[in-house]
Amino acid sequence: MSARDNILNKIRKAQTPNSNAAEVIAQHLAQHPRGPRPNIPDDLVAHFKARALKLSSDVLETDDSKNVPQLLADYLREKSLPMSGVCWPELADLPWLAAGLEIHSHPPLPHLNPDGTTSHSTKPASGQVAGYLPKGEEANISLREFNDTDAVGVTSAFCAIAETGTLMMLGGADTPATTSLLPETHVAIVDPKRIVATMEDAWELMRKEFSQPPRAVNFISGPSRTADIEQTVTLGAHGPYRVLLILAPL
Amino acid sequence: MMQNNALQFKRQVTIKLADVKLQGALSRLQSRFVEGRSAVISEIADLPQTRDAAAGIRNRVLNDLEHWLLHFEREATARGTVVHWAETGEDVNRIVTEIAAQHGVKTAAKSKSMVSEECGLNDALERAGVTVMETDLGEYILQLAKEAPSHIVAPVVHKNKEEVADLFAEKHGLPRKTGIAELCREAREILRPAFLNADMGISGANFLIAETGSALIVTNEGNGRLVTTLPRVHVAITGIEKVVPTLEDVSTLLRLLPRSATGQSITNYVSMLTGKKSVTDPDGPEHFHIILLDNGRSSLLGGEMQDMLRCIRCGACMNHCPVYQNIGGHAYGWVYPGPMGSILTPLLSGLENSPDLPNASTLCGACAVVCPVKIPLPDLLRKLREKQMERGMKSRQETLLLKTWAWFALHPKLYAFATKVGVKFMAILGGKEKLLHNLPGASGWTNGRDFPAPTGKTFRELYRKEHNK
Amino acid sequence: MRVGFFVTCLVDAMRPRIGFAAIKLLEAAGCEVAVPEQQTCCGQPGYNSGDRKSATALALKFLAEFESFDYVVVPSGSCAGMTVKHYPDLFKDDAALLARFTALGARTFELTDFLHNVAQLKSVPGKFHGTLTYHDSCSGLRELDVYQQPRALLATMPDVTIKEMVESTTCCGFGGTFSVKYGELSTRMADNKCTHIADTNCDTIVGGDLGCLLNIEGRLRRNGDHSTRVLHIAEVLADTGE
Repeated sequence: MSARDNILNKIRKAQTPNSNAAEVIAQHLAQHPRGPRPNIPDDLVAHFKARALKLSSDVLETDDSKNVPQLLADYLREKSLPMSGVCWPELADLPWLAAGLEIHSHPPLPHLNPDGTTSHSTKPASGQVAGYLPKGEEANISLREFNDTDAVGVTSAFCAIAETGTLMMLGGADTPATTSLLPETHVAIVDPKRIVATMEDAWELMRKEFSQPPRAVNFISGPSRTADIEQTVTLGAHGPYRVLLILAPL
Repeated sequence: MMQNNALQFKRQVTIKLADVKLQGALSRLQSRFVEGRSAVISEIADLPQTRDAAAGIRNRVLNDLEHWLLHFEREATARGTVVHWAETGEDVNRIVTEIAAQHGVKTAAKSKSMVSEECGLNDALERAGVTVMETDLGEYILQLAKEAPSHIVAPVVHKNKEEVADLFAEKHGLPRKTGIAELCREAREILRPAFLNADMGISGANFLIAETGSALIVTNEGNGRLVTTLPRVHVAITGIEKVVPTLEDVSTLLRLLPRSATGQSITNYVSMLTGKKSVTDPDGPEHFHIILLDNGRSSLLGGEMQDMLRCIRCGACMNHCPVYQNIGGHAYGWVYPGPMGSILTPLLSGLENSPDLPNASTLCGACAVVCPVKIPLPDLLRKLREKQMERGMKSRQETLLLKTWAWFALHPKLYAFATKVGVKFMAILGGKEKLLHNLPGASGWTNGRDFPAPTGKTFRELYRKEHNK
Repeated sequence: MRVGFFVTCLVDAMRPRIGFAAIKLLEAAGCEVAVPEQQTCCGQPGYNSGDRKSATALALKFLAEFESFDYVVVPSGSCAGMTVKHYPDLFKDDAALLARFTALGARTFELTDFLHNVAQLKSVPGKFHGTLTYHDSCSGLRELDVYQQPRALLATMPDVTIKEMVESTTCCGFGGTFSVKYGELSTRMADNKCTHIADTNCDTIVGGDLGCLLNIEGRLRRNGDHSTRVLHIAEVLADTGE
């Protein structure tokens, strides 16, 4: 008898078997009912900003994503931080160099085709996180692997959750998890249109746009922190020391 | 298996109460965690309904655990996760060691896992030649100090920063730092290469999601993300009871877990991990293993202790426990301290090995009030006391005392006589001070307190006199 | 209304005047008070020590003595809690008795809860003068929601000022047999309570459960504090204190 059989037998013996368990489970999974949720004010953007600030994230806003590099440059300069880093490929087109920033894009990564072959996508798939083919000199960026010494990591987000001021990141070919994790500064460009009220709304958006969850879904809520020594909150444990959210239409 | 030292409980209480440094550390726990929880739990407007819903979600799974586990296994396997089943801690150690051997693992980076503490996994891996690095700051400090966690959420709550500074200076061979931020920075810099070079990442899992076959981990430091992203093999170890049906269900639990645990509305990171790295994924492990540990949990199912399996390991019960607040976690002798530990340790590690734990509580109920999944902790402690009584595990003296008291209480005339004589005698002993400094058989009381003497006549005597006038 | 008064074993033996004070308050609230003579102990010591059998026997005894009253009033949150919350647990497998115990539980009240919420007493006979601090005993607080009631009753007394201590709802460490079995721990918890009391500079500490009060008083006296008065809420409200 395997450990699996032994454990399942013990469970079976302890509980009166539910004859229509499979049906009940299938029904619950199909309906995935929502539990009690907080009331989130109608102005999701304002609520998101307020909650994000509470989590020690920094928040900037612009109505044109072209301004993002300049906002970031000013932010880094003011804090005397290194003016270089790495970004997700979909953001490589932004005028980084013009703002005095040296931002490298991750190399494009192969996409899996339905027939099992791989290819490099040339344009964003509609409704999904964009695949990106770099434009070399035109975009003033260079391509290389992610490096542990990158000071700044620039990403977008799948969506953001107003309830807690949280970013929802889906890992994928062009959205590596490391960009938001290894650098000391994580910059996330958040499209205000992609701010949802609650976690449940975020899951629903994921279900709508993806047939199954990607390998890694991460909720990010401010800079990494620890309170292990004397229960004193210290920002910058193993992940970023600071998180800058730039609200900009993408 | 982690050794259970709960037989030493009373001796440990004496030591811990006299430990000045520990007492200082514990006072911080109370202010940070108790006040912290209180500040954010009010963000949940309909807290009673949310707690009901959370308990309901856990019950839904526990009442049909077999089917939910099988559903989880099916979904996880479909995404390329290898699901293992372990009956005991030794089984977990063997499975992880085998996975390590299979993939040629030399070093492992580990994020916090209380289940792995049940197994004594680190020692087993070291014996198999795998270097294990704890990466949660608290667990890392404990690994350096060769100590066990004293809290399930804040493992190193028993140490102050001077102790950590001394430890780092000694073990890292770097100039001694004094500020907490500097100490954290030093640990980060020492540990970063460990993440980048580790062949295997080991983590726990706060929840397993049946709908998607995912493991969900809540962390603050980011080490949980690192160990599940960078190494080429990831092993997540958790208990069989941790299954949650859907993403909506897990959302409800996530509203309560960090608020109850650390007074945070949400932890910095919530990572939902589903399957191994696909062809197109730029990062993530090539192999993902999930180990489901029983270790006695199934024996709680279907009985009066099943409620304990709802536990989501937030630690609120210990943060609010006046016993834990005064002695810390080590006195409890095994992996889990505080009220939840006083129930789990006897159940998973033997009631005969932990006779004090169910009794070392005033049943004040502070734990039950804050438990996010409404575990009736005092009732479960009392049920364990009943088991001790049924199995003849109580001391002869205590049993005799209880039976004698009950016998008198059931015989009112004798009771009236005995109390009348008793209180008169005690009143005389109390003297002018009206205090007893010693009470035979009750030195537990009088070692630290006087016993206020009775006034000399019972209520029933006086009442009868008044009404026969 | 006919009220059956359950004195509790501790008040009976240790502080009869609390019982008389409680009766005085009940009568002030217009109740006809009866004190069944055969009453002894509610069975809590056995119940909390795992001795279900003796607790069951004493519960049945309690039922026989008190079932006939409109209300049962107890000057102790923990004994009232035993009756209201735990007797039904003892008879969960006997539908007929469970129904009777549930009905009895619904008519059983801790003293201040009864005076404030049921009898709606608006003025009390007590003449206490001074500033006091209040300790909330665990069972009354968490099993019966007794928190506002004693404060509301004290608020009707013009010369009483309540100065809250920090952590007034934290356990004093009594816990019945716990106080003897784990004496060191119990003493430390009592000591913490004494510190919080001292920090208020009040000369009177008041509570609703005699077990806790004896524990607190015992620690105060051992610490050399012979002046702080330790009083049951009934004594303050009825002013039969010495």
